[in-house]
Order: sequence, then C-alpha cells, then structure tokens
Amino acid sequence: MTATEPTEATTGIPFTLNGKAMEAKPGEMLIDACERNGEHIPRFCYHPRMKPVGMCRMCLVEVDTGRGPGLQPSCMLTVSPDMVVNTESESTKQAQDGILELTLINHPLDCPVCDKGGECPLQDNAYSYGPGESRFVEEKRHYEKPIPISDLVYLDRERCILCDRCTRFADEVAGDPLIHFMDRGAQTQVNTFPDHPFSSYFSGNTVQICPVGALTAQPYRFKARPWDLAEIESTSTVDSTGARIVLQSSGDRLVRVLGVDSEAVNWSWLSDKDRFGYEANDSENRLTDAMIDNGEGLEPARWTDAARKVATALAAGPDRTGVIGGARLPLEGQYAWAKLLRQHAQIQNIDAQLGDGLPAQVMAGLPKATIAEATAAGGVVVLLGVDAKEELPSLFLRLRHAAVEDGASLIELTPRTTGLAPHAAVSAHPVPGTVGTVVAALADGNLDQAVGGVEPATLSAMADLLGSDRPVTIVVGRGNLAESADFTVDALAAFARLVPSARYLSGLRRGNVHGALAMGLSPGAVDGLDTEGILRGAATGKIDTIVLLGADPLADFPDRALAERALERVDNIIAVDTFLTESGENADVVLPAAGFGEVDGSFVNLEGRLSPLQAKVTPPGQARADWMIAAEVAAATGSDLGFISLEELRADLSASVSDFASVDWDGLATSDDGPVVVTTGDAPDFGDPVVAPSSDGYGLRLVVDRKLWDLGTMVQQSPSLANLPAEATLALSPSDFSGLGITDGTDVTVETRAGSFTVPARADAGVPKGAAHIPFRLPGFDAGSLIDAGVAISEIRVTVG
Amino acid sequence: MGYLEGFAVTFKKWGEGVTTKEYRAGKTNRKGEISDKDQKAPKPPRAHGRHVLNRYEDGMEKCIGCELCAGVCPAKCIYVRGAENDPEDPKSPGERFGFVYEINYLRCIHCDLCVEACPTEAITESKLFEFSFLNREDAIYTKNELLVGDDGLPQHLPWEDWRPGEDEHTSGWMRATAPAGKASYENSAAWSGELGYGVRAPEVGQDNPEDQVVEAVEADLDAHGAHEHGAHEHGAHEQGGHH
Repeated sequence: MTATEPTEATTGIPFTLNGKAMEAKPGEMLIDACERNGEHIPRFCYHPRMKPVGMCRMCLVEVDTGRGPGLQPSCMLTVSPDMVVNTESESTKQAQDGILELTLINHPLDCPVCDKGGECPLQDNAYSYGPGESRFVEEKRHYEKPIPISDLVYLDRERCILCDRCTRFADEVAGDPLIHFMDRGAQTQVNTFPDHPFSSYFSGNTVQICPVGALTAQPYRFKARPWDLAEIESTSTVDSTGARIVLQSSGDRLVRVLGVDSEAVNWSWLSDKDRFGYEANDSENRLTDAMIDNGEGLEPARWTDAARKVATALAAGPDRTGVIGGARLPLEGQYAWAKLLRQHAQIQNIDAQLGDGLPAQVMAGLPKATIAEATAAGGVVVLLGVDAKEELPSLFLRLRHAAVEDGASLIELTPRTTGLAPHAAVSAHPVPGTVGTVVAALADGNLDQAVGGVEPATLSAMADLLGSDRPVTIVVGRGNLAESADFTVDALAAFARLVPSARYLSGLRRGNVHGALAMGLSPGAVDGLDTEGILRGAATGKIDTIVLLGADPLADFPDRALAERALERVDNIIAVDTFLTESGENADVVLPAAGFGEVDGSFVNLEGRLSPLQAKVTPPGQARADWMIAAEVAAATGSDLGFISLEELRADLSASVSDFASVDWDGLATSDDGPVVVTTGDAPDFGDPVVAPSSDGYGLRLVVDRKLWDLGTMVQQSPSLANLPAEATLALSPSDFSGLGITDGTDVTVETRAGSFTVPARADAGVPKGAAHIPFRLPGFDAGSLIDAGVAISEIRVTVG
Repeated sequence: MGYLEGFAVTFKKWGEGVTTKEYRAGKTNRKGEISDKDQKAPKPPRAHGRHVLNRYEDGMEKCIGCELCAGVCPAKCIYVRGAENDPEDPKSPGERFGFVYEINYLRCIHCDLCVEACPTEAITESKLFEFSFLNREDAIYTKNELLVGDDGLPQHLPWEDWRPGEDEHTSGWMRATAPAGKASYENSAAWSGELGYGVRAPEVGQDNPEDQVVEAVEADLDAHGAHEHGAHEHGAHEQGGHH
C-alpha cells in the first residue's frame, strides 16, 4: 500500500495471505478478500448475493489467528486483523482432496449427458483441486432421474451435492420457500413439498446458481453444450427494470439467457420471463416478410411497395393520423420513428403507452430515484399502485431485499394485496377511485376517519412513517386498468404536498417505455391525442390512419370494445411488429421488425439508466431493425432522416436530445451498470383533483391488474411458458363474497354496461370491500370486456346464477 | 553440367527396385473385369478410416449426443445435437441420445480424436478409406450412414469398397490401445460389448511394436479366409476374389 492511498490504508484490515501482506475491507469474508487479492478459493455453496452457510466445506483453508493454524471455512470467516491465511499448505490441499473425494462419493459420472458438463464447478474443482482418483467402489445412491419440480425446472437428486444454494435462494431471495432439504444423513435430498410444485417466478435462478447439474432448465434441456455457445451481454426488454443478461446462442439460435450481476439493477437475478422469453424469437409465427392487404387478406410483398404504401397512408395528414406503441423498440428505433413522425410528418397523436400507463408529462417531471436509492437501508418506500412481483419482478427482488435485510419500510398503497404484502410495514388498499383522497387526507392531517375503506389506524401508521425524517421513495405504477389514471395523478399531487423531498421511481412496466418517452413518443403538448383519444377518434371517423409500432391495442388497451370499434372503422392500419398480432391481422400494411437479440441498440430502464441491447442472432427473413424501417419509410416519402448507420443515428440523437448529449455509446457494452442519463423534466402539472363518481351501493368497483404469466405475445409464443397463465377468476372480499352464499370456484354472472358475462368467483382477503378483482389477459375470461375507458371507474354487478 | 547432375540421381536409382507398394484394389483388366490381383494392401492395426456409430448388444445406440467428439474435432467436421429420450422408447440408455450426427468427410482428417473423446465408445473408426464421392452431399455422412445396422454391421454405401471381414476392424483402434498408455491395461477388455460381436477380445500386447504390426496384419488376413462372421451375409463383399 503506497502513501498515495491513505484512506484504504487506514480502513483496511491487514492480514497475511500465503506469506504476503494483504488488506481486507472491514467485515469482508475471507473468501472474498482472497479472491479480490488474486487468490481463488474453490467453493460450491458460497454465493456473494446470499448469506454464507458453510455447507460444502470446499473453501476450507488453513487459518492462524494466533492460536495455531487450523482449517476453517473461508466463507464463514470475516477477516480479522493479523490473520495468517495459507491456501496452499499441505493441510489445505489434503482438505480439498478429501472434501472432493467425499463430494464425489454419490455424484454420478454422467457428465456427458449432463447440461452442466463443461461449465460445471464440480468438474472444474475436481480437476483443479481434486485427488484424481477415488477409493470408493461402493454403489452410489440412486433416485429417479430428473423429476420436474416445476414447469420449468428439473431436479436430478443423484447429482445434488447438498450445497443449499437453490433452497437458500428460494427462501432468502425469492421468498418462495417451496424447495427444502428432506430426510437425514446420507439420505438427505432436496425436494418440493408433496403436491406443491416449485412454482416461483424466479425458479430459473436456481438453475443458474446450481454448482452441479442437479437443477436443469426445461427450455435449455439438451439444446446445446457449453462449448457450442457464443455469448454477448445485453439487457432484458421483458419489463422496464432492464435486467442485465447474457444472451447465448448456438447455430444462430438463442438457446439460453443468464443473469449478469449488475450492482445497480438486478444483482444477477432474473425472472423466469426474462430468462425463458427468448423462446418467442424462434416461434414459427414470427413475421418474415413485408405484407400488403390487396383486398383478399395480407400477402407477402416487396419492401419498397410496402414502404411506399406506408408513406401514402402517412400523407393523410398529421391530424388524421395516430401512432400507438413504441415501447418494444430499441432507443435508436424510437428516435428514428419519433424523428420521422414528429419532424417529417408533423404528427402529434403519438402514444407509446396503451391507456394502461400514466401521463407522460407527470412521469417526466417527478424527481427521480435510482433503484439503489429507493432500496437504500433505512428508507421508506411507498408502493403506489404497483405490484412489483407481477409487473417488475427484478425490481421486486430488490425491494424485497431492502425490506427483509436492510430495514427499509414498505408502505403498500395498492388496489389490492401485492407480492410485497408480507414484507410491508403498512398495507392500505383503498377502493378504486379513492387513492387520491386517501393521500390528500394524509397531507391534510385528516387521520380521524376512514377514507376509501382505509381505517384511521392505518392512516396514522402511514403518516408516522412518511412524517419521519427517513428518505421516502415512491414507486408509482398503474395498479388498476379499470380506474382512470387521474386518481393516481391526484395521489402524486398529494404526495408532493405531503413529502416534498420524496423521490420517485417509475413503475411503468412495458419494456423500453422510458426510452420511448425520452425520445418523445408521447402525445404532443398541443392537442396531441393519447391512445384512448386516437382510438376514439378512429371510432368516430376523425382518424384515418393508425400506425401500430409493436402495439396490439385489441389485446393491450384496457377497453377492448373501444379498440374493436376503432380498428373496424379506421381506413389504414400500418403494423410494424415482430409478430402478426390480433390487431395486426386487420392491418393494410405489415412491416416485419427485427426483435430482441437480433439488432444492436440501447435500452432505457425505469431509472432512466441507459444499457446496451446487442445482437446475437440474425433476424428472420426480411425483418430489419426498426430504425431502418423508419429510414426506409422516410425515403419513400421523398425525405431523409439524415443517418444511414447506427453510429450516425446516435450522433444525431446525441446532438438533438440534451440528456443523451454526452453518452459514450461505444462504452455502454462494457459496463455492467450503465449511466443514468434521463434527467427530471419540468415540474409536472397534476391538474385539478378528479371527483370519483358516487357508487349506487349495489355495484362493485372493478380492479383489473396484470399477472406475470398472461396471454401476452411473448409468453404465448414461448412454448415453455405458454401454459403457465392461470385461469381467470373474479376475486371478492370475504364479506362481499359471503353475501353471495356460494363456494369458491362457483360461476357468477357479472353485469356491466356492455353486457353480462359468466366467470368463476372466489373469496380473497386481499381485495378491499366494495371492489372486485380480476387480472387482465388471462385465459378463460377477457377482463378487457368489463372495462369502459369512458368512465373514471368501471363498476360491475355480481349475481349468482 | 547443371541439369545432368539431376539425371545422374535418376539413373543411379533406376535399378534399385520399387520402394512404394502398388495399391491394387479395384483394378480391372482390359476387359473391364475385376482382376485376380484385386486385393487391398494390408493396413496397420491402427489405420484410421471411415467412422461407424456403434450399438450395444441389445441394439441401443451407444451415442448419447454429448458432443465431445464435435468439441474436440480439429477440423470441425462433426455436427452433433442431443435430444431427450422418450422414456417409453429410448434410443440409448439414459436421458439423452444423439439426435443429429453428421461427419463431413471433405473435412475429416481421420485423426481419431473423436474416438478418444467419446465416453461411450459410440464413435470408432474402421480401416476403410476406399471411398469417394461424386458430390458434396454424399460426403456428409449422417446418422443413417454412420450407425451400424440391426445386425451390427456397418452400412455399405455404393461408393464404399468393403471387403469380407473388414467389419471386424470397425473398433480396432479402441482395442489396440491401452488407456493412458499404461501397460497394466494390456489384454484386458475395458470396453462395452457391441451388437453382433459381443465384447470384442483385446488385441495382443504392445511389447514389441515392430513385430506386432506385421503379425497382427497377417493374422487378420488369415482370419478373413477362414472366419465366417456369425450368420451374417456379407453381400456387398462378394465382389472380391478373396474367398
């Protein structure tokens, strides 16, 4: 340590490693300190993102703390001053030999058929530190070869070395303790509880961290061997958290996605949707050709003809054209399309959100927090509407860790109970239409009487937490599609009064929606229509052309009836997408776009953090990058976007969007975190508070939210995921439910203004009294048919029979 | 002088006789008939030729699709993909079988590293090198061509010159070597049985390599005349005048 680094010298803990003086950080585990100082200690059970357990004993090293040298597990030992460590001593080597020989007693030598073979820590350690030969000649223990412990994960108990990684992950990190050690002694095995599969949204992580091939992923099973794989780092576009990933391909096909340990974002964990959604890339339903409807349905056509037809349709005039979508696109595609639409075609009616988000100008103006700031130790986090587990699972893990390990207090202010409810300090579930008044009551200090079904005690508990001097972060999303976004905006306005220092984390869930908003794919400030306005205009003949940029309003716009009317009436529909969606089938021109993992680009996550999207495989057929499609359409209109390469586009982007002025585009791929570039915009205009229409007392206010597994295109086009969505059921509060005098699962009749429907109902204590909950886009029942975008709150009546 | 020195070497060597051997197999006489002299020259026991994919004695495929052969191949001529066995109708013992197996003989250099890498003795080499193709597709042998038939015999493709008894050498290399070169393994059978042959006998030891080659080759040649391989018919072998 030189004198030029005084801070480290004073805080470091001196210890001796193999005769050399080293320094550890305070509280650092010996195994980490050695690793950092260039001495790798073999291990199986230790994982830097989980608590150490000392199960495998592989990391035994000779340690002398003044009482003579002895073997100690380096993963369980914090470095103490003047510790003398020898990782190369005779006794360390003997311990490593012995542990490996013991570990291999029962481990089958089926490496050639094992998916882990070739990248297996047990193979590597046995090769590097093992004795080379075994003295054991006895029969190994036998279990039924792989048993499915969930729809996505297989367990081979013969291969398991009982390191406790998967079980610790399920319990500590995911909060789904559904796998556990069973039996004792030599019979110890990992298994699920009877009749309870390991149905966790995060089950794929156990496959990634398994140090042997005991856990294998069904989608990757026997698809390739490690030496087949070529890989590149990228970002998951499944949701707006932007989890960092590695894309691995074999033979120009994506075969596996692994999590990357990004300190800022996902800490190496992924949801199963991030991990297995790549399967949709290979779907046979991918769009491969430009198509034109020649009067007898869509037929493959030449690109130039299709681009010319798009140019003609866009000439309908800026007022008579609406553009929906853009969140699927990489940032560069969004910029090119925004430039084409706004500057060249003068279109103002653009909306990247499909009526299921929050106003762009409000979101842009909220003071931003990063995930790290939101989850910092000792903070208060308000979950305003957002159900992180279902919508933003990677963020959920960070929030859960903050609440469970770091003493953050969660306030759940959502339409119904969410995945974070078990860890919330306070849970309040206001009836739809009242969240704004609830927060206003907190801001005004009216804590004496219940508001929106929230009891005074709950209000006081929230006020106490928010009134403390702890930093407050508000994670805001659209928790209820059947309720106008204005109520959430009211709540934000009240929070701005209540906690002026609060910072905000966007919970808008859809892919690269934050990139789209940064690039201006949002309604123009002057008379720009949002998606609802565009669809309403189309339904009434005021809009002639609708451009769908990777959007499927029939599926994703909350009010299905309005979307149907609009797409039926409108003259021209132009779809730019990776799949032919239900809405796209009505299109006049379809342009095939290259999808995830097929083009280079960038991604802006919910913090405003920029991270790379990198191409690993070739786009199918004639599909091409979205920015190229925009450039081609511009050329067909006789103009020029001013760039013909990604580099030129990025230079243009940096020159025109101030937040991106100093971005080092080439350096993005080499950083696991990526810079936060999107800054807070002008102070938001919250508008006047809306008044919730009074209920007639008979109806139930509808709560429609999203589940991770739904009928969305990506899930449905991934063979391993397609069957995961559960059947839709209508959930009522126990008191409302008991009034019906039926049992769980009984069909009830739901009456709305649009008609009456039949759906099975059940009681759910997480639903507030006076509300009825049904998830969006699940098989069995289309909740979109219950929603009326024209009213602030959709109400239903539930009767038996 | 100049070029005359070169001629001098030629003339000096004139009377010394032929040092290379004429390869006679497939030779025809003037009438276009295969001549009596149509004999393949003897090959050393470890000659590397066209591959075969073996089966166990119960007919199961030995290949488990592990791709180690493809991974080790210096010419990158092997393409393998594994797939999951149907538990009701498994192709190989265990969970995985070789779903695709292709060798591109335009690239293969017959180094036998694939044979060394194979954990199940599924891929071995025969001594057959008398094969050639008229197009590139024929040069890519798939599982159909490589896998031994239901009788355990290698497939005989139209452009391959198999002779009676040559199927005996389809795993000769395996049996001629001792793992890791340790003498203590000599003469012990450390390999699994094969369909049609059972557990093949180890080849003789390697004490005096120079003698062994000649003896082994002569023993092979003798064996061909007398030895009828089980009840199998060697239809494609009949062209030779060796019987």
